[in-house]
Amino acid sequence: MKDILILGIETSCDETAASIVKNGCGILSNVINSQINIHQQFGGVVPEIASRKHIENIAMVVDNAFKEAGLSYQDIDGVAVTNQPGLIGALLVGLSFAKGFAWALDRPLLAVNHLHGHIYANILEHQDISFPAVCLVVSGGHTSLLHMKDIDSYAVIGETRDDAAGEAFDKVARFLGLGYPGGPAIQKAAALGKAGKVKLPRVYLDKNDFEFSFSGLKTAAMNLWKKMKGNEELAVFDLAAEFQQALVEVLVEKSLKAAKIYQVDSILMAGGVAANQHLRLLMKEKAGQENIKVFCPSLPLCTDNAAMIAGIAYHQYITKSYAPLDLNAYPGLLSL
Amino acid sequence: MLILAVDSSTPVAGAALVDEDRVIIESFINYKKTHSETLLPTINRILRECDCSITDIDVLAVTAGPGSFTGLRIGMAAVKGISMAADKPVVAVSTLDTLAGNIAGSDALVCTLLDARKNEVYCGFYEVSGTCPERIKGPMVCTPETFLSIAVELAAYKHQEKIILLGDGYYRYSEYFDIELKDKLLPVPGHLMLPRAAAAGVLAVHKARQGEFEDVYHLRPLYIRLSEAEYRLGKGAV
Ligand SMILES: [Zn+2]
Repeated sequence: MKDILILGIETSCDETAASIVKNGCGILSNVINSQINIHQQFGGVVPEIASRKHIENIAMVVDNAFKEAGLSYQDIDGVAVTNQPGLIGALLVGLSFAKGFAWALDRPLLAVNHLHGHIYANILEHQDISFPAVCLVVSGGHTSLLHMKDIDSYAVIGETRDDAAGEAFDKVARFLGLGYPGGPAIQKAAALGKAGKVKLPRVYLDKNDFEFSFSGLKTAAMNLWKKMKGNEELAVFDLAAEFQQALVEVLVEKSLKAAKIYQVDSILMAGGVAANQHLRLLMKEKAGQENIKVFCPSLPLCTDNAAMIAGIAYHQYITKSYAPLDLNAYPGLLSL
Repeated sequence: MLILAVDSSTPVAGAALVDEDRVIIESFINYKKTHSETLLPTINRILRECDCSITDIDVLAVTAGPGSFTGLRIGMAAVKGISMAADKPVVAVSTLDTLAGNIAGSDALVCTLLDARKNEVYCGFYEVSGTCPERIKGPMVCTPETFLSIAVELAAYKHQEKIILLGDGYYRYSEYFDIELKDKLLPVPGHLMLPRAAAAGVLAVHKARQGEFEDVYHLRPLYIRLSEAEYRLGKGAV
């Protein structure tokens, strides 16, 4: 059978990304132009600036994806693009470019949900995952637990009621003066401190469901910092370590609980926060004790990238689930 | 020279095929749907109706601003995608110049103004004695009051008795302009008041003849304004 080559385009937040993936799993190129340095001075992603950078970078990023793969534009079979969820102005740049590119090449357009892409990042690297499975989606915008019957069939069994995990990392890191983005900043600070020296709550809500809440933990961390401030120089590292520990423990425990209740033997992790080393280690350790396998994408595929978009779109291409030219972008999550 | 021109810089979504100075087909949509939904289907439809494919096109033209930030990017991103995939050169045309192109052979001072929100307008000032508008001031962003005082001053200096106002910026502040300008204001029929992709195409023919093509790897819209966040950081003008 002929190889199917899909170009993926991703501009939902502050990364302009393009990638070419063969048959849904062979990454031929994976180009990411990150704007983190630009947004750092604002302490977070500024949507208008992100959109401005996307329109400046998109053509070069896509061209580089072809160069890296050693392919010409005509070689691809379809054009996949993230059309939800994300920053609307940012999504529209990638979507409009993808439409023009696909239309002019006379190739089908494929619409991808960004979060489906994050989940699929696991399959890009591990074709041996056995389903059903439980998947923990943790990013700056989302914290959800999914019960996955198969690659493309899943139900949300729990979500955060307030802040997403990544959002809590960002807010606390900013409050502690650790910088942006918060996830890597807290991880770095935590490595210099020790969890347990100061005490923060583990917020489980109802121990028997899969709902999350991080705003209480966030506020507790901020209040504690206000009290500690000035007293002890190294305290910020201990606080960062305790905050990370408190958040990660809840994520791990609820994921394991879900795996047991749904009787699955695989846990998948997806999204930017899945890059957190402490989360990866603790999840593997605790799951190992229960004989549950843990899968998580390699670090470059945890954060936003277009390989996951091109990868999942292969399956849409095969079933001819093409998107129309009047496809729109949507900032919120219509359905997971 | 066959030009495909695209404009999505204001609430209007437009696309046109222009062959030298002849308009072959034009689509002008000033309705509720988003540009994201309408633009590519429109381009696809007008080419089909003329039995054209993208390979028949010589040059792509896009209005590059000023205008709605998101609208500008939708048109420009689509044109960048088409340009790369079909290997066609791109000409960028000012949205304000495009508007001024709706008028020809006039003694009046032609002012184009787009609603920039926050009680301001993007504007430009033109002489259009022939068929090609000549910009004498702008593009710039200012309050309707500042805009009007510049227009009156320029008209006096150039001995122009009449002033023409084009663009949705006029509609937004029409009462104020009507009262202030009285019979100095030369009214224009509605079909000339908003930017037309056909006009962008005609202007693009001139630019293409001069070889004024854009590098799609670096092309970006003319915003005039910084983002809010940059203003708050205390940065100056663009
Ligand atoms: Zn993401």
